[in-house]
Amino acid sequence: MSQVLHPIEKTIINLLKNEQSLSECQIAEKTKLSLDQTRRGIEWLKLKGLANVVESENLFVTLGKNGTAARRDGLPERKLVGLVEEKPVMFDDLRKKLLGDTNVAIANAKKNDWIEIKKSEAGNVVSIKRKPDQTAEEKLLLQIDDKRIPVEQILDMGAFESLKKRPDFVLVESEKLRTVSLSEQAKSIDTESAALGAIDVEADVPHVFAARTHPLKDTINEIREVFVSLGFSEIIGSLAQPSFWNFDALFTPQDHPAREMQDTFYIKDKTAEKFATPAQIRQISNSHRRGWRYDWGLEAAKKMVLRTHTTCVTIKHLAENKPDEARVFSLGRVFRNEKVSYKHLVEFNQVEGIVVGKNVSLRDLMGIQTEFYKKMGLYKIKFWPTFFPYTEPSLQTMVYNERLDKWVELFGMGIFRPEVTRPFGITRPVLAWGGGIERIAMLKYGLDDVREFYSNNLSWLRSVPKCQ
Amino acid sequence: MPVVTLYLQRLQGLVGGKSSRDRIIDALPFLGLDIEEQTNEYVRVEYSPNRPDYATDVGIASGLQGLLGIKKGIDVLRVKKAQSKQLAILVDPAVRKIRPYVSGIIARGGRLDDETIRQIIALQEDLHFGIGRRRRKSSIGIHDLDAVSLPLKYTAKSNDHKFVPLVASDEMSVQQILEQTDVGRDYGKILDKSQKVPMIVDSNGSTVSFPPIINSALTTVSSKTRNILVEVTGNDKNAVDDSLSVVAAALGSLGFALHELRVGSTGTAQIFRTRSMTVDPGMINQMLGLSLSASQICQSLRKCRLDAAVKGKKITCTIPRFRFDILGPMDLVEEVALGYGIQKLSPTLPSSSSVGHKNPVTLKVDKIGQIMIGLGFLEALNSSLTSKQTLYDHTGRSSGRIIEVAESKSQEHTVLRDLLLPGLLENLSRNVHEPYPQKLFETGTVFSEDSPIGESLHIACVSAHKDVGFTEIKSVLQSMLKTFCNIECKTKTSEVPMFANGKTADVIIGGKKVGMIGEIDPQVIENFKVRVPVSGFEMTLSGVVL
Repeated sequence: MSQVLHPIEKTIINLLKNEQSLSECQIAEKTKLSLDQTRRGIEWLKLKGLANVVESENLFVTLGKNGTAARRDGLPERKLVGLVEEKPVMFDDLRKKLLGDTNVAIANAKKNDWIEIKKSEAGNVVSIKRKPDQTAEEKLLLQIDDKRIPVEQILDMGAFESLKKRPDFVLVESEKLRTVSLSEQAKSIDTESAALGAIDVEADVPHVFAARTHPLKDTINEIREVFVSLGFSEIIGSLAQPSFWNFDALFTPQDHPAREMQDTFYIKDKTAEKFATPAQIRQISNSHRRGWRYDWGLEAAKKMVLRTHTTCVTIKHLAENKPDEARVFSLGRVFRNEKVSYKHLVEFNQVEGIVVGKNVSLRDLMGIQTEFYKKMGLYKIKFWPTFFPYTEPSLQTMVYNERLDKWVELFGMGIFRPEVTRPFGITRPVLAWGGGIERIAMLKYGLDDVREFYSNNLSWLRSVPKCQ
Repeated sequence: MPVVTLYLQRLQGLVGGKSSRDRIIDALPFLGLDIEEQTNEYVRVEYSPNRPDYATDVGIASGLQGLLGIKKGIDVLRVKKAQSKQLAILVDPAVRKIRPYVSGIIARGGRLDDETIRQIIALQEDLHFGIGRRRRKSSIGIHDLDAVSLPLKYTAKSNDHKFVPLVASDEMSVQQILEQTDVGRDYGKILDKSQKVPMIVDSNGSTVSFPPIINSALTTVSSKTRNILVEVTGNDKNAVDDSLSVVAAALGSLGFALHELRVGSTGTAQIFRTRSMTVDPGMINQMLGLSLSASQICQSLRKCRLDAAVKGKKITCTIPRFRFDILGPMDLVEEVALGYGIQKLSPTLPSSSSVGHKNPVTLKVDKIGQIMIGLGFLEALNSSLTSKQTLYDHTGRSSGRIIEVAESKSQEHTVLRDLLLPGLLENLSRNVHEPYPQKLFETGTVFSEDSPIGESLHIACVSAHKDVGFTEIKSVLQSMLKTFCNIECKTKTSEVPMFANGKTADVIIGGKKVGMIGEIDPQVIENFKVRVPVSGFEMTLSGVVL
């Protein structure tokens, strides 16, 4: 293993070669490194297995506010002795001198048998019994003085315990101490021979996060590319649409359950006034009357909805352009009034493509699907019949998913019903197919909860690989 | 989509022809039925609302017989004409304004077991929901004929009319039924409360049914029932006849003998007449991309339980009454495809070809997004439907021009966004435990009041970290526009809600205000529970660069 050492590490190793073990502070002091540099260096050495670090807890003692005062002026009982040394003194006079310390001074002096108290007519009189020597507590106060000393250095633990009982006399602080010594491997390192100016290229480095497109957007872009590569051109349209283009133009009767508020988002108090030509409106009205046998109403067609599919964009494009030949697709957000769950969103992306042509057939539609899925990396597909209100015949694609070990329903397809195309003067067959994009993206990213795409959870966005 | 449970042993019996279970299960999707659940005992399949005849296992068995080649063509439905005046529903003119249409049929001599009863009830419910449009257009009552004395009378009764409704043990008045039962509350709104309500009574004056709400307990069908009375009432004659035709076909397949009832001056037998449709085999072949002979086409149609015969250059197809989903020749194209076998259709590619291109708007939005990524911003995606709280309350903006959707099922999705920034702030608030700096951008559609709704594309971004400030975010804006298409922008001191006073500006391009930029107001940051400073901008792309 190549041994690249930072100058800080070299300094510490050189120091410790001569000493058995030192604390962080001692190392900092002796090497003239800052404490922060020292700590970092020790951490590096530890990670490399070059230093052993032993953590221990040490207690230190200093004098508190009252302890400092007692060291300077004497303990309260010592002051009392000083006052009564010459002659007995009245209790009340003592109280005036000793103030708050009076009681503790009397109690301790009596306990030590230094004084006696006699009653007289004028009150209690305190007189000296014997003059005391320096006490163990007084010695300890002098020993601590203004220093910060380790608990182990205290000579008289009894005095220490009794000082601790006095308020704010001694303070005990705990400090974690890290003692560092070199490992056997480190002792043999020759710091002089280690490469000059080299850095540790094997060390771990901090993570940075690449800015990127949203993973769902990657799938959307991929699908867009596939459509373009298959010769389709993109059309776009509004998200808010009059019911006319979202439903009526697609032969959805006005009392169809899909048009109810519990399935479709209606925009409150919004109706469209100019949205189609009088001829288009008349044709659609007739188509509904003939096909569904009811009286079609204009008011329901005016109500603004959030589009439930991109097909409204497609049919409007067809109605406006009446192409004989066309390959177009539209891609974007669509809306359903659903309860949000792991498999349902109120808003998701859909893509839809159409082919208009003289001789196009259902088999062609299946062929384009097959190509599309192949380009998306999905090879095992089959077709099943299904029902859509505006296509006939209608099929759905089933795609085999290895991870789930089952067939998953993907895009739907069909040929637009004549009831949809004829009112707009489109006479050639229109092959149409489409479906939700999130479903495909979920397969790609192996997600089981579709909400993940819109939760913008940074831990996911920053970690999901671009290549799937 | 409605779902039906098929018990496999029973289904096998109904299909006949010694078909194995696997063969039957494999064929189900080719009738357009999606398998939802499969066990050793049963499968649950979803059927399309255009095929209510698939609401029962007898209907599905009939379809399977066709596909598997066991039985082809129409199952002829024989309905005996009413010989006696007793076999009738007399109609009181009083119903004309409340629920005008009634029809019915009698089915005799069949056998019912519990599973068959369950299937019929499920069929009834699905017809109520679909064709009946939640019982408004039509609703069905199925009764034990032997508990009823004919003729029936379809009449109108007032709110105090009393009878024992199904599943109750005591008499209840109409008013009590409407107020105290679930069905009464759910479907009572179909009826006009100020008027009398529709009622079917028998010749003894006993109540048979209170359409469209509930049957009488008197006529409850059980496994002992041998003879059945079906009545259908509604506001839409087609829906009434359609519903009756589906129920009659199911009872016919179950082995009941059908007898018409007279309603007014006509019998109900004429309802069940087949119709014919002429179709051009060339059109069918062109649509499917096949070259089938006329007789192959007829064979395929017969496998879908239709009758078909070649007449000159055309094919005449005979369609049973309950296949009212067949509106025109294109519907027959699908029948041919199903009868021929979807699995036999091999994919081809259209002979025409063309060169595709992306929409210029999409291209430009993609490009500006790429620049933001180059500037270190991660792309976020938010819903355009959001909440008032996120959009207005938390940002301290006025909700005076709020655009709401009606009756959203989700509290978080009730308002159309007019800005992207609140969504991005919401994203920051969900990521407070992730490493900083956090830099996000979004491009997307925002909505405004117009005639009726305006939509424009916006871009917005936020930068959140302890050192962010106005300078950083203005640099980003400046660089984005410069790199995009060499656009110069100015920032003009302004007061914008959501931004901190004195640290916000309008974005001006070519003298026109196109957006906002600044440090987000600390109160707003706190509302979103974010713990670092945030700066951001938002500008419109529509009308500026698009």
